[in-house]
Formats: sequence, structure tokens, C-alpha cells
Amino acid sequence: MISKEGLWIVAEFEGTRIAPVTLQLLTKARAIAGSRPVAAVLMETPEADGEETLAQYGPDEIIVLQAEGFKDASDRALAAQLTQLIQAHQPNAVLFGATPAGRSLAPRVQDQLATGLTADCLDFYYEENELVQVKPSYGDNVMCEIVCPDRRPQMASVRPNTFAAQKAQGAARIERVPVSLTPDDSCVVQHTALKIAATTSLSGARKIIALGRGANKDAVVAGARQLAEKLGASVGVSRPLTDRPDFTAEQQIGQSGVTVSPDLILNLGVSGAVQYQVGMSGSKLVISANRDPKAPIMAQSDYTWTGDAGALVAALQELL
Amino acid sequence: MKIVVCIKQVPGSNRVKFDPITHNLVREGLAGRMNPFDENAIEAAVRLREQVGGEVILLSMGPDATKETLHDGLAMGADAAYLLSARAFAGSDTLATGYILAQAIRQIGGVDLTLFGRQAVDADTGQVGPIVATELDLPQATFASKIQPLAAGRLAVERDLGAVTQTVQLTLPAVVTVRAEANRPRYESPIAIQQSLHKPLTTWTDQDLTLDASRIGQAGSPTVVRKVFAPTPPTRAAKPLPEDPKAAAKALLDILQAQGLL
Ligand SMILES: Cc1cc2nc3c(=O)[nH]c(=O)nc-3n(C[C@H](O)[C@H](O)[C@H](O)COP(=O)(O)OP(=O)(O)OC[C@H]3O[C@@H](n4cnc5c(N)ncnc54)[C@H](O)[C@@H]3O)c2cc1C
Ligand SMILES: Cc1cc2nc3c(=O)[nH]c(=O)nc-3n(C[C@H](O)[C@H](O)[C@H](O)COP(=O)(O)OP(=O)(O)OC[C@H]3O[C@@H](n4cnc5c(N)ncnc54)[C@H](O)[C@@H]3O)c2cc1C
Repeated sequence: MISKEGLWIVAEFEGTRIAPVTLQLLTKARAIAGSRPVAAVLMETPEADGEETLAQYGPDEIIVLQAEGFKDASDRALAAQLTQLIQAHQPNAVLFGATPAGRSLAPRVQDQLATGLTADCLDFYYEENELVQVKPSYGDNVMCEIVCPDRRPQMASVRPNTFAAQKAQGAARIERVPVSLTPDDSCVVQHTALKIAATTSLSGARKIIALGRGANKDAVVAGARQLAEKLGASVGVSRPLTDRPDFTAEQQIGQSGVTVSPDLILNLGVSGAVQYQVGMSGSKLVISANRDPKAPIMAQSDYTWTGDAGALVAALQELL
Repeated sequence: MKIVVCIKQVPGSNRVKFDPITHNLVREGLAGRMNPFDENAIEAAVRLREQVGGEVILLSMGPDATKETLHDGLAMGADAAYLLSARAFAGSDTLATGYILAQAIRQIGGVDLTLFGRQAVDADTGQVGPIVATELDLPQATFASKIQPLAAGRLAVERDLGAVTQTVQLTLPAVVTVRAEANRPRYESPIAIQQSLHKPLTTWTDQDLTLDASRIGQAGSPTVVRKVFAPTPPTRAAKPLPEDPKAAAKALLDILQAQGLL
């Protein structure tokens, strides 16, 4: 039996594996669910086995829908399945990753259910039975709390890499739901290409050296790349450096770039604008070097160094 | 091809103020401008018209001042514009906005393709396009980075989905939301601006559309923005490392060592 009033996470695949944001959401959902059952909803092809990964992150239930047609299914077809499922089991809340796929699917489901949907949340928690959703607006210059008092389910998409995923004990109950999926001839996938996994590698990196305008010299960039190689770190940048031919938007940390939460981030010549900080505030250890001791990044750092970024890079290279 | 482009007027700057009591945006002294992604949507529409013929119609819901933004869009090459403006529309969230826009598209009639920006830069949701598509029961291709007309009422659309790019074949009528990567919007020439003043701009109120009153404005909006505040990033200890670069480098590596990061 699928429980009613549950807190549901709509699982997403990234290639053949479960997307990190799904696992991050499961961990967060367990932490805030209280007595509500946490369920993962999985729409997959019969040969896939997403439930095995999901089970390691401690949901109470995994609702599995399997059909050949889920390969390359259109947003319209997926939304129809999900809407039916939600209407049948009336969860209290339904959460999606705020990925392109999640942000395309969720509003279609929202419209069919005539309920609220909050986009791109950075936090959420329960007050009694009301899910308070915290989201940024105006280019992350403003935060707001959004609630959906009168309609159910409460729905939100949540920004990837905002929470850490943690494996958890517990035996998830697998609930298999029969599917009848009508192919959508009006939207047919012809070709899918995996991009160079630059984004994935930065968003999943455990160590990052991040370069800002104060490190925008070829020698400093080259030195930082060498350091990164020795430390096993990835190189990220603030927005101005994406103008360089050797960096692209895929390496940009921040609101309009990638959100990261590494164990270590070393910021070199980054001022720490709010749009940058939201992309890295989940990092464990933050060390920043800046010529200006009053640069906003400094108060956001566990350790700071005041001086020329190039000089610190050179000194580190000598020691490593 | 009859193309509707939905455009939104957004604040001229993202440094905005909120009324602490009503939580409404304080708009005074903030000139509006067109949502930047909507410029890409208009450009995509005008290029499609140049390739296959047809017309480009702009549609925007907003206060009277939105006419300026619609004129900008006409100067970019659109043929006609509709403004949806009424007190009854105020306070609409994405669900109510999507419903009202969909009803207007029905009323315009015979629309083959509806284009949206990938998202508005103020509320940042990107939800309105898919909601309109659902209201009209149309297929959608979101996050489009390339749009190519095919024969027999079809489009090839390349979608940039972050980790993957995907090409889909859409059968019209359909909805597409457009990324900035799709094109570079053209500049408005003085002649085009002059011509835009003579293009038709029609205002519709709630009285001009077929609307269910419970689905528009605040009543039709399930979400409530209950609080707006400035983000306060948590501050950290900011312990200074030694001044000398060599000593600093040594101290830094010691910290990494101690935390098992080397
Ligand atoms: C809607 C919107 C979205 C945005 N999204 C992003 C985003 O996703 N990511 C992003 O990064 N930005 C984003 N921005 C831009 C952001 O506001 C800042 O402009 C940007 O982050 C600044 O980059 P920076 O810190 O490298 O440069 P600057 O702000 O110019 O700072 C350079 C810093 O380097 C220091 N410095 C200079 N020389 C040296 C030296 N020799 N050694 C050491 N330090 C030195 C200076 O003291 C200064 O603190 C966005 C802006 C908007 C409006
Ligand atoms: C701070 C703040 C946060 C908000 N957060 C949410 C939220 O999380 N969920 C929610 O449901 N509502 C939210 N709203 C309400 C939302 O801003 C409005 O419903 C708005 O009318 C449309 O949403 P959007 O700006 O997110 O548009 P998006 O969905 O981001 O816009 C995508 C595209 O839709 C078209 N479009 C959008 N608005 C119009 C329009 N008025 N006329 C013509 N075309 C248009 C444009 O092509 C645009 O590029 C929020 C409002 C504020 C002030």
C-alpha cells in the first residue's frame, strides 16, 4: 500500500545513474519529514534498476513505474503519469530537482493539479502541515518564503547541490505500479548527446580552486591549474573569467552557473558578490586570498590571506 | 506560421526594494525593461517568419507601462501586440498567469507556435511556458538552443539540458521556451522604431477574455509570498594566515593536512 500524506521525491536519471540531486533531496526530506512517510517516485525502463540506489538513501517507500516508453518520454507523457499517481495517493508534498528536466516536468503537473509550485528552492521545512519554501529571486538578491496554504499537494523544485546526500539505514518498501503509457507522437526525441561532463565534474568536485578577476593573469591561471592537479582539485571561476577563451560558463560558480559544495574551496582574487556566494556557501572549508582584506568573500571564509593571489600560488607551487 | 511570443516586463535592475508590510515590489523609480530571454524568443520568431513566412504577435500581461516593452518588441520586428491589463489580474502567480495567457492565445486563434523566454529574471521560475502548454494541451520543448523549421508543420528543436543536449521533433501547434544561446537579438534601427509606432497594439481586459474568475488574480493563485528578506550568508571565522606568502602557503598546507585534504 502506498501511504497517503507522504513527502514524495520525483527521482531523475542522469544518464544511467540516479541524479545526485535526487539523493540530496531524499536525505533532506528524511530530516524534515517528521512522521510523514518519505517516498521516491521512479519512472524507468524495465532494464533500469534505480530502486537499488534509491534504497541506500533511506526512503520509506519507492514507488516504481516501469515501461519501455519512459525512454525519451515527452514532458507531456511523464506529467500525465505523475498527475494520475498523485491524484490516486494524495501526497502532502512533491519535490523535484530544479534541473532542466525537473523544471520542465513540474509545472505541467502543477497545472493539471491546479496547485502551487515554488521554483528553485534553497531550503524548505515544515511548520505544522505547511511546507515553508525558501527561494531566491531577482538574481539571488532577494530571498522569499513561499507557502501554499489551501491546496495540496505542496510542490517545489529544489536547486541541485544545496544539500549533502547521506546514505541511510532502513528497508525501503518497493511499491510497483502498473503503467499504461501512450507514446506522444507530437514530441519525438531524435538524438541525445552527453556533453563533456565539465559541469558534473565541478558540481561534484570534492576540492575546488576558484579564480576571480584578481587572478586573471595567464601565469596565475597556469599556476592554479598545476596546483589543482597536484591537489586533485577542479578549477572553477567567477563570472568575469568566463570571458577568457580557456574557461566557459560550465566552470562558472554561482547563481547563473554551477552550485558547488566541496570539502575545500580556495578562492583566489574573488570578491564574493552575492551571486557568487550562493553558489559556494555550502562548501565545508573555505580559504580565500584577496588583495583587499575588506572584500566580502573574507567574512565568508574560515581562513583568509591578504595579498597578491599570484604570490600565494607561487609559494604553494614551491611547497608541493 | 502564426507565432505568438509571450514577453514579460521586468524591473530595470535586480537591485530591488520591497515594501516590508505588503511584501510587494516597490516599483517607483524603476523603469521596466523586457525580460532579456524574451528578446531571444522574439528574435527566434522573427527568424522563423523570415524563413517560412507568417506573422509574429506579441502578448504580455502587465500594467499599462508594459506598452513600452511591447513597442520595443514591435521594433525588433514583430507585427502586432496584445497587452492584457486589468485590476483583476493583479497578484497572479505562475498558475494564474499561465491560465490567463492561454485564454488569450485561444482568443487570438489559429496559433501554430507559442514562444517563451527560458525564464523571467525577476521571479526566476520558468514555469509559465510549460503551464500554458498544459492548459492548451500542447507538446513543449523547453530550454531550446536551436530552432529549425521542417516540412509539414514540424520543428526540429535542440534542447540544452545541462548534462545532455537533445534534439526533438515537434509537431505544431507547440510551445517552445528559448535559451539565450539560441541567437543574438537584433538591435532596433531608428526606422524600425518609427515603424513600430504604426503597428497595431490592442489592450484586452478581463472583460475581453473568456475567464473563470476563480482562476485569475489572487483567488487563482495557490502560492503566497509570505516574507521577503535580504539573504544573509552565514559568516565564518575568517582567521588570517601569516602575512608572508611562504609562511601562508605552509600554514595553508598544514590546515589541509590536518583535515585530511592532502
Ligand atoms: C543576475 C546576475 C547573475 C550573476 N551570476 C553570477 C554567477 O553565477 N557567478 C559569478 O561569479 N558572478 C555572477 N554575477 C556577477 C557578480 O555580481 C560579480 O560581478 C562577479 O562575481 C565578480 O567577480 P569577481 O569577484 O571575480 O570580480 P571582482 O568583483 O572584480 O573582484 C575581484 C577581486 O579580486 C581582488 N584582487 C584584485 N587583484 C588581486 C590580486 N592581484 N590578488 C588578489 N586579489 C586581487 C579584488 O580586491 C577584488 O576583491 C551575476 C550578476 C548578476 C547581476
Ligand atoms: C519574489 C517573487 C517570487 C515568486 N516566486 C514564485 C514561485 O515560486 N511560484 C509561483 O507560482 N509564482 C511565483 N511568483 C509569482 C510570479 O512572479 C508571477 O506569477 C509572474 O507573473 C510569472 O512568473 P515568472 O516571473 O516566474 O515567469 P517565468 O515562468 O520565469 O517566465 C517565463 C516566460 O514566460 C513568459 N511570461 C512570464 N510572465 C509573463 C507575463 N506577465 N506576460 C507575458 N508573458 C509572460 C515570458 O516569455 C517569460 O520569459 C513570485 C513573485 C515574486 C515577486
